[in-house]
Amino acid sequence: MPKSAPPPIIEIQGLKNYLGGAWVHSDVNLTVNKGEILAIIGGSGSGKTTILRSLLMLQKPTAGLIKMFGQDIKSLSAEDTDTLRRRWGMMFQHSALFSAMTVLENILFPMTEFTKLDKQFTHELAMLKIKLVGLPKEAAGKYPAELSGGMQRRAAAARAIAMDPELLFLDEPTTGLDPHSARQFDDLILFLRDTLNLTIVMVSHDFESLKKTSDRIAFVGKGKILSVEPIAELMKNPDPLIADYFSNL
Amino acid sequence: MSQANQIKISFDVQEACYVCHGEWSISNLAGLLTEFKQIPTPKALKTIINGKNISVFDSAGALAIIRCMNQLNQDKKEVELKNFSPSQLLLIELVQSQYTSLLYEPPILKSENILHRIGEEAINKLNQADGVIVLIGDLSIKLFEAIITWRRFHLPNIVSNIYSAGIQALPIVALLSFLIGVVLAYQMGLQLQTYGANIFIAYISGMAIFREFSPLITAIIVAGRTSSAFTAQIGSMKINEEIDALYTMGLSPTELLVVPKMLGLVLVFPLLIFWSDVFSVLGAMFMSKTMLQVGYVDFLNRLRDSVGLKQMMLGLYKAPVFALIVSLVGCFQGFEVQSSADNIGSQTTKSVVQALFLIIVADAAFSIVYSWMKI
Repeated sequence: MPKSAPPPIIEIQGLKNYLGGAWVHSDVNLTVNKGEILAIIGGSGSGKTTILRSLLMLQKPTAGLIKMFGQDIKSLSAEDTDTLRRRWGMMFQHSALFSAMTVLENILFPMTEFTKLDKQFTHELAMLKIKLVGLPKEAAGKYPAELSGGMQRRAAAARAIAMDPELLFLDEPTTGLDPHSARQFDDLILFLRDTLNLTIVMVSHDFESLKKTSDRIAFVGKGKILSVEPIAELMKNPDPLIADYFSNL
Repeated sequence: MSQANQIKISFDVQEACYVCHGEWSISNLAGLLTEFKQIPTPKALKTIINGKNISVFDSAGALAIIRCMNQLNQDKKEVELKNFSPSQLLLIELVQSQYTSLLYEPPILKSENILHRIGEEAINKLNQADGVIVLIGDLSIKLFEAIITWRRFHLPNIVSNIYSAGIQALPIVALLSFLIGVVLAYQMGLQLQTYGANIFIAYISGMAIFREFSPLITAIIVAGRTSSAFTAQIGSMKINEEIDALYTMGLSPTELLVVPKMLGLVLVFPLLIFWSDVFSVLGAMFMSKTMLQVGYVDFLNRLRDSVGLKQMMLGLYKAPVFALIVSLVGCFQGFEVQSSADNIGSQTTKSVVQALFLIIVADAAFSIVYSWMKI
């Protein structure tokens, strides 16, 4: 294989979204490189989650080009789309764990659906994910409703990495957690990136978390990405919208 | 290309080491370990696993390597990993350090014996009966209070319930009643024809429709449509903590949610039964005309003379009872929902089944009472 610079994991060009009678995005351009942690921030209603949903193919963009792993998602066949979907993991804001299954079954679910591995192996692998996200092993047999909020997030993260994805999406991973759990979760994000060679895209409002984990931050406003830069530089950005965002910290 | 990606572990005799090939990732690992077991174990005490040709390596791959190593260790072999990248070794080390806890099996919940389950269910049912009684009591208090202050009847709420439970149900009630009327007249007509007693169709089908079929068909439709809707609505409000929000504001969910539903249904239920009466009779008339040659006017005259208003009223008297059953069961099961989406589904099922069950029991009770009263 040629050893040139690897292509970006995600490439968005001229993304437009028209939702509920209004333009949410007029022109979004963004690239995400391998191995980085990119955070998407912006005021409420600026369309951060809509960008995430477009990337995850949960929502068809009105116009624009989205390339995931170098493939244009519009031109993929159904089969290729499924293959593509298995290369990423998503952790939803409210965990979205299947409430009728235990934590272990939640993690085993994608494995048994998509692979032909034997039971013992998938069991060990699922337990490995549980340990990786820092849950005690006893959590495996519990139902999501029996876990605290912080543990539910961890379980959701474990399910998101069940299929060893290359790309992980996190929607507000630390929102609603107490500061201590939130900082621990930041450590987890960094740990996962380093051990599993993940690329991480997250939507977050948590300033501490952004400072600790993100490599670059994309600021969404006025239907565009106003700026993509590390947090230290972003805070000095003269754009009034960005300055206003950071002014109340 | 696909050849290069194929995952393989083989024993290289010349180098005296295991060689790994291809993508050691979760989607490719199936069958690898059985393949590994089939390789005859080398004689030498020390073996090497060479990871030079691995193209993709994830945590599943690391686990597979460890499984291979464990198997070799069982055969009292020393294993050395060679040509793995630092990050791969790190991952393997990480998995190795956690390996003991990976074998953890969550305790299996053992099912209780039959006596225990019967007892539990009995207590459950008693608690439910208790809950229903509390709800009825609460409802009565709110109703009496509301009679004193008219504002507390929440008229717009009642009207919207009349609309959703009554007016929107008109087409389906009409259609089903018409069909029941047709079917009923057809079945009875077959028998009457053999005796040449065609004109009695008006009496027989009229009695059956007014006293039993219309009230029951209406109740079944309303139980299916409305009781489930009540449960789902109150249940999702409960999950969303809206019920708790009402309590914290010092408002009563019973007054705001249950009373309007109940009153709306009590008001609209007799009208629905009457609507059903009309269409069932139409269906029976239609069938009598085409099958038994009993004209519309003859049918209606006969219906008035032999059945009359009294029998129709006997059917309509059932309406308030059925309305109470449907609204109480629907609302009660809604309040029983416990914080999960699964639960709404099961409670909705319960509410429809219980409402139907109670409606049929109540209908039987009406029959008994009517026969005591000799009407």
